[in-house]
Amino acid sequence: MKSMLQRKVVRALIVVWTLTVLLFLYMPMMAVVMASFTKQRYFRFPVNAWDTRWYEKAFESLSVRDLFWTSFSVALLVTILSVVLAFFGALAFARYDWKGRKMYQRIILLPIFFPQAVLGLALLLWFSSLGITTSWHTAVFAHMIWILPIVTLIMSIQVYSFDPVWEEAAYDLGASRLQVLREITLPILSPGIISGAVFAFLLSWGNFPLSLFTTGADQTIPEWLYSKMVSGYTPMVPTLGSLTMGGAAGFLLIAFLIVLAVRRLRAGKPD
Amino acid sequence: MNEVPLGFLELRGVTKQFGEFTALEDVNLSISEGEFFTLVGPSGSGKTTLIRILVGMDSPTSGEIALRGDVINHVPANRRPTCMVFQNLALFPHKTVGQNVEFAMKIAGVATSTRRERALELLELLRLPSDFYSKRINQCSGGERQRIALARALAFDPEILFFDEPLSALDFRLRKTLEKELKDIHRETGKTFVYITHSLEEAMVMSDRIGILNHGKLIQIGSPDDIYNRPLNKFVAQFMGEVNTLAVEKAGTGKVKDSATGSMYEITENGQEFESGFMIIRPEVMKIGGAADVLPNRIQGVLFNDYALGSRIQYQVRSADGEDQWLVERLQDDPFSGNAGEPVTIGWRAEDSILVSS
Repeated sequence: MKSMLQRKVVRALIVVWTLTVLLFLYMPMMAVVMASFTKQRYFRFPVNAWDTRWYEKAFESLSVRDLFWTSFSVALLVTILSVVLAFFGALAFARYDWKGRKMYQRIILLPIFFPQAVLGLALLLWFSSLGITTSWHTAVFAHMIWILPIVTLIMSIQVYSFDPVWEEAAYDLGASRLQVLREITLPILSPGIISGAVFAFLLSWGNFPLSLFTTGADQTIPEWLYSKMVSGYTPMVPTLGSLTMGGAAGFLLIAFLIVLAVRRLRAGKPD
Repeated sequence: MNEVPLGFLELRGVTKQFGEFTALEDVNLSISEGEFFTLVGPSGSGKTTLIRILVGMDSPTSGEIALRGDVINHVPANRRPTCMVFQNLALFPHKTVGQNVEFAMKIAGVATSTRRERALELLELLRLPSDFYSKRINQCSGGERQRIALARALAFDPEILFFDEPLSALDFRLRKTLEKELKDIHRETGKTFVYITHSLEEAMVMSDRIGILNHGKLIQIGSPDDIYNRPLNKFVAQFMGEVNTLAVEKAGTGKVKDSATGSMYEITENGQEFESGFMIIRPEVMKIGGAADVLPNRIQGVLFNDYALGSRIQYQVRSADGEDQWLVERLQDDPFSGNAGEPVTIGWRAEDSILVSS
């Protein structure tokens, strides 16, 4: 039998280990946030003079607004398109057994494993040989190639646990196809749809290598951060970095609240 | 032309083919209103295909299905005034018990308060306390889920209620309870129930009439008594449970001859035509030991072993050469006192044998 002391030591070690991992993961991000509140024009750490003027500048700047809208439009469009396509794709994968299904599933997943920079370059070559001018529209397409398989995969997990007999039962009880979709399929698959959407948005929002090659004259926030790091550093870099992170965190929070609200609504009142 | 009286649900020459495979072959059946009809068959007999066609989830390759005289072959499931209790029940996991029961009414646009009232009535009919209304499905036990599924189907107010072996996943005792409950619900609601199962025993408990299905063909339709006492062929006789079967041929008035050994047995002629086929004797009508000595049909054998079946004990007797084996059953409180390995006499009365041609 273990003594009380041994147990206490083990528990303490677990706490220390957990804290170390968290520190390792989150300290760099905290450093960026702290750097964004500096008064200086140069990137220095630790920060010794604090100020919020870079945030004021960021909010006033029209080019920052452009960056934000470009990133947001790309991410939003990628999310909507991926969720719709992945929804039907996942249903097709999980529900029907057709010849070559496994093979197709693997081939469609393959782009995830390519280096994104190579994928971006390949797409750029492809776009230019087709005579398509790259802009944030083409970036949406590029992001989709990488993100759609991931979203499909996430949704498939939920769809595999979906029993089509629920749809049959609803249909048998008089529901139309549309009512079945609204009453049965969508609500039961909603956790998968929501997590798929969250992944799609965040992966697109933070994507750099694909955007770099395919946005053309438009610029997303990660691209801007990179270009400013390479030449012409301004403390706006950590500021905007912090804001993007904040945006992602805020998006996650909203998604979480939606899930919570949906769950409460369902459990609470009869429909 | 003569007016042909129409059944409530009428199947005429229903055939279903999946490519080369014939799942159902020329099924003709007439079910009356308010009847509890059970289709029984082993797995692969086509019973699931048939019920899917009946509820409208599949359509027959040829033949007609008519409800109150109207052909409904091409009416989809959601437009048919019938519904089904599924094998795995198919209760909606994201809805509460109340929401499940109310589903059909919600679809039909019934007002919320009416829906609730009706759902609570149905829960009461199915002996579920009213606090189940707001429970989640995963908080309910297997038996409770059965009742909820039945309540949900009844809330649809169907003209015919179909059942696709809903009790098959339950343990024995609960199944027995629910079989009786189902029969009670049938009487209380007066609805037409069409039930499918692989268990003839289950069918016997509940049904007004039974249809036996094998290899896509409807072999016999009759009351439980018909099926049990007047099976049309060996398959039906053996489907109920273990029976003694002997290949025989007619050998003069009141006699048949064992096709293999030539032994003669007495039978009771009941006007049925019989040339050759099988003689079926149920284990529970067989006698063993002293009681067999006075019977016209006797066989000498060796007691091989005995098996306790609960209310009865089964004795396996083998012929001297060990080729044939016979089953005899006696009530549990009236055991036979022989030992395994000892020679015994078994026998049966002339009127206890059932003759079938195929």
